[in-house]
Amino acid sequence: MPPRLRTSNLPSSAASSPSIRSQCLFHPIRTSRELSQTSCQQVTARRRKFYEWLNGPGAQLKEPLPGSTNYLGAYDKYGNLVRASPAWQRKSRAELQREKEMKQAEPVVKAEPVKAETEKTEGASEGQEEVDELEMQTRRDEEAKRKETKDDDQQLPPETAEDLRPFPQNRFFRSQPVLSEDLREAIYQRVKRDGATVSLASVEFGVSNERVGAVVRLKQMEKEWIAQGKILAVPYARAVLEMIPVTPFIDTSLPENKGKRPVPHEPINDLIVHPATRQQLFVPVAESRQFTREDAGKAFDNHLLPADDRIPHPELVKAERELAAGLPFEERRRLVEGRLKAEQAKKSKEEARKAAAIASLKTVPQRRWDFVFQDVSVEAVGKKGRDPRGVGWRYGFPHEDRKKGHVKIPTRVDA
Amino acid sequence: MVVRIRLARFGKKHAPFYNIVVAHARTARNSKPLEVLGTYNPLPQPPRPGDTFGRPWKDVRLDISRARYWIGVGAQPSDTAWRLLSMVGILEPKYRVTQVQGQVIKADSAAKSLKPAPAPATSTTLTPAE
Repeated sequence: MPPRLRTSNLPSSAASSPSIRSQCLFHPIRTSRELSQTSCQQVTARRRKFYEWLNGPGAQLKEPLPGSTNYLGAYDKYGNLVRASPAWQRKSRAELQREKEMKQAEPVVKAEPVKAETEKTEGASEGQEEVDELEMQTRRDEEAKRKETKDDDQQLPPETAEDLRPFPQNRFFRSQPVLSEDLREAIYQRVKRDGATVSLASVEFGVSNERVGAVVRLKQMEKEWIAQGKILAVPYARAVLEMIPVTPFIDTSLPENKGKRPVPHEPINDLIVHPATRQQLFVPVAESRQFTREDAGKAFDNHLLPADDRIPHPELVKAERELAAGLPFEERRRLVEGRLKAEQAKKSKEEARKAAAIASLKTVPQRRWDFVFQDVSVEAVGKKGRDPRGVGWRYGFPHEDRKKGHVKIPTRVDA
Repeated sequence: MVVRIRLARFGKKHAPFYNIVVAHARTARNSKPLEVLGTYNPLPQPPRPGDTFGRPWKDVRLDISRARYWIGVGAQPSDTAWRLLSMVGILEPKYRVTQVQGQVIKADSAAKSLKPAPAPATSTTLTPAE
């Protein structure tokens, strides 16, 4: 069957003529047009421009630069990287590959001297190899030095805010960094292995409470999947993470990061605007009366807590207050440690309660699933039989889940 | 009138949920029972988070001592209720799935092996399986 033509773009007499069709069938296939598979291409100005861009300036984006984002906004319309110095040249794939291999070889070189000394005693036949290795090493060192001198104009400066615009037409959209793989792993280990509370991990890594919770849950799932032998899309994740800005993990326990501090990912102590506080209120208050933040909260809503209790990290405010009060360092440290200890105790108590609740269940394994029996009391329904704490679906109560204001989206996830 | 321990279906379409109830045998399924002993959720739940090699599970809530009392005074469980109550040791297990399946398979294969034989032969083959 010959390829279909769109008749609206052709004169009506020509649409049915066989000569046009045959022309389309023998249309020369252009090598540069790789995206489209159809043999008959309508050449429009837009399409032509698109292919011009794809084979011209757009070709830069096809292979992402290593260690850099891959956004349209970083290039001008001729396909030049804006932030690069004029002498900068894009490295070819072969060069990159070579560099990668060099980098991989480096740790081996570092380990070599110790090994060489041990081998010295062993024999002359290995002595020859050792000389070769030494020669290689000096050559590599020289090369590295040369590279360093050359690198000044070859080195790419880090991305500015202008370069982080994926959509050049939308000047106000800036790509935000995501957590790097190392950082996520570190957060998970801090919470799971070291038993730190979520808020402590949040303060230490500069990541919000919610995000720490999400990281721990997702990491746990990832590890479960690996244990179950599920296949993860790791190359995909790595490729995506290479093209977007990431918050790096700085391991301060390592000697080379001695004086460094972790890079904060986001502001962690922002007060979330409660819907009840969105209205404007004029509350007349007697001058003689004290009107605190607690009263302000109550003015908006009777159940609204004051801002001091609603912020994600009230303990940081407390620490600042103690600092402002002029307490000595040792005293402040003692207070903070006491608070941390209390929080840890609360966490462990909660975990013990959960474990005890699960241990009290009676599990009967059957062929396909376990039947888990929980012993309840029929007395819980009360004398009138209408207590909501009673077991079972209630009689004489209408279902209210279609009523206004009943949230059906799950508000919490068990982790 | 006979008192039965049985299930009353609640829940929604494709999301069944049962109350385990004590009721008079001739009352409607979802009418108000003498007592609600517990609940049974037949939809298997995924293993709990952190339970890597856990199995799916079904949630049953039951007042075991109360169920034992009703059995003691002569309440008659339905088949499904019998199955659930026997799991916690209130009753002797009645339906063993694997045994029943084994019997069915045996009878089936016996019937197949004697296919060309005349019709009365099948009845004779079934007797050893029972």
